[in-house]
Amino acid sequence: MTETQDATGPADQAAEAEPEGQPVPVNALFEDDFVMQLILVLDTDTIDEAAQKVAYHVVGRRVRPRDAALVFRVDGKVIPGHLTVAEAGISPLSSVLVGWAR
Amino acid sequence: MARMPREKWYDIARDLDWELSYVDYEAVFPEWLSGHGKIPREAWAKWDEPYKVTYPEYVATQREKETGAYSVKAVLQKSKVFEQLDEGWKSVAKMHFGGVALIEDLAVYAELRMARFGLAGAWRNMAIFGSLDETRHTQISLFFPHELIGKDPQYDWAHKAYQTNDWAIIAARATFDGMMLNPNVIDVAIQLPFTFETGFTNVQFVALSADALESGDINFANMISSIQTDEARHSQQGGPTLEILVEHDPKRAQWIIDKTFWASARLFSVLTGPGMDYYTPLEMRKQSYKEFMQEWIAGQFLDQIQDYGLKKPWYWDEFMAGLDTWHHSLHLGVWYWRPTVWWKPQAGVTPEERDWLHEKYQKWEKQFGRIWDVIIENVNNDRMEQTLPETLPWLCNLCHLPIGTAGSPFNDKYPIRSYPLKHNGYTYHFCSRPCRQIWWEDRDTMHDPTVIERLLGGEIQPPTVEGILGWMGLTPEVMGDDAYGYRWAKRYQNGNGTGQHPNAQSTAPAGQEGR
Repeated sequence: MTETQDATGPADQAAEAEPEGQPVPVNALFEDDFVMQLILVLDTDTIDEAAQKVAYHVVGRRVRPRDAALVFRVDGKVIPGHLTVAEAGISPLSSVLVGWAR
Repeated sequence: MARMPREKWYDIARDLDWELSYVDYEAVFPEWLSGHGKIPREAWAKWDEPYKVTYPEYVATQREKETGAYSVKAVLQKSKVFEQLDEGWKSVAKMHFGGVALIEDLAVYAELRMARFGLAGAWRNMAIFGSLDETRHTQISLFFPHELIGKDPQYDWAHKAYQTNDWAIIAARATFDGMMLNPNVIDVAIQLPFTFETGFTNVQFVALSADALESGDINFANMISSIQTDEARHSQQGGPTLEILVEHDPKRAQWIIDKTFWASARLFSVLTGPGMDYYTPLEMRKQSYKEFMQEWIAGQFLDQIQDYGLKKPWYWDEFMAGLDTWHHSLHLGVWYWRPTVWWKPQAGVTPEERDWLHEKYQKWEKQFGRIWDVIIENVNNDRMEQTLPETLPWLCNLCHLPIGTAGSPFNDKYPIRSYPLKHNGYTYHFCSRPCRQIWWEDRDTMHDPTVIERLLGGEIQPPTVEGILGWMGLTPEVMGDDAYGYRWAKRYQNGNGTGQHPNAQSTAPAGQEGR
């Protein structure tokens, strides 16, 4: 934990020049992990991209990778992967759950 | 000069009070500081402490205790005892010093507030002794680790920790400010001497002292025992205050105890749980944290409050279930976020240690073992970056501990989830229903922004991992790392660098593990 990178996203995210969207901090859990984490997504991210940002901080670190797609849920409802975070109505400080497609 | 016998003057001296004529009673004992509530003024005449002491007796006893603790320390100073201590045990001591030394100082102010605003002369007298006790505890808890700073800079955090923004300290500050500094003195007496000191610290100090002796840390054991004898005396301010409160306002008494027990139990699960079940060397462990809590905290405390006619707290089943999971989650979190602490967490998951954990906690492998397996594989395959965090856990708005640590994976009854609350257009997050309820009822005295809120509010600059560690006051020579340099993980190494403990239970669909 000594690299100079944004505490809320993958290294390549911080390296990008200027993010186009507005940051949306969410309280995210990845299925089978033991803790909820601060993940910064952008309102322009698709739900699939947002799911990847959550997975980055868990899969391969504390949860084994699987050969399966990711599913993004809010209040128990699956959010379609092609929608953007803004279109899906995800607001800052929301709780989200990312898991494997069965 | 002849001395008057003790029995002739003691009762007058210990319970001296007078009728006010130049000022109003309310001006001397204002409601917001004294907290009369529904208790009539005359009720306080009954306040009677079970253990009585005069000032000369107090000084003589304290002098003896000080001589005992400091002379043993002086003798051991030249020995090699410290060098022979286990690194895991040293972490218990470092965590204790940083987390406790200046809380003792905070307790001086809590005692002084009772000494000034307590509603009975005898209570105020007892609180003066309490403030002297806590002053001694602060001094001894700072003096003992001071000589070790030259050997290990992490001991410097005995003094430094409480003045930083380290997440563990913010959690402790929030809890103890709510217990000692923010409320009126009746609430302080029920929260601090009765619930926290009688319920938790007295027994914790006994257990910690036994573990210290077992681990060969004679100095620490001596210091803790010396402190504990004072705690046992001044904690008795709680009982007489509670007795009067229960008689006149049992609902208030029940609420104060319920909320303080919950907040203390959450904090204990990180301060004491990992030390007992992971850091203390296996061969020196006497009881698991769960066994200790069941026997010494839960059982004794329930008996005690029932003696006062109070009920079991409403969340009791949730608290008892948490003895199986809370401290395991918190230990895993502390180890994973190890650069954010001032000690060296010992993973405590060698095959033998996992056998012990499995024996004490039957669901441990399913809930936590499989996460450790992934970490072990990363360590053994030199993927250390995967074992270190790049973001923060979301923290509870009441206890300031990570959300998820009041539940566990694979736990239908208490799963990993947030318990949110929208208030004035803002979403607060809590680790559990009790934390949410306590915050809602007492948000005026128990609200501190979490590290997450401070980060999102722009208080932490730059908002990078380095920036967060700097903001917490952690410098490279102090920030935590694995206690044994990851050597324990090699025990799992086989041909392909991976390994799994035989107790491990698969949770992935067949054929998908380890990809």
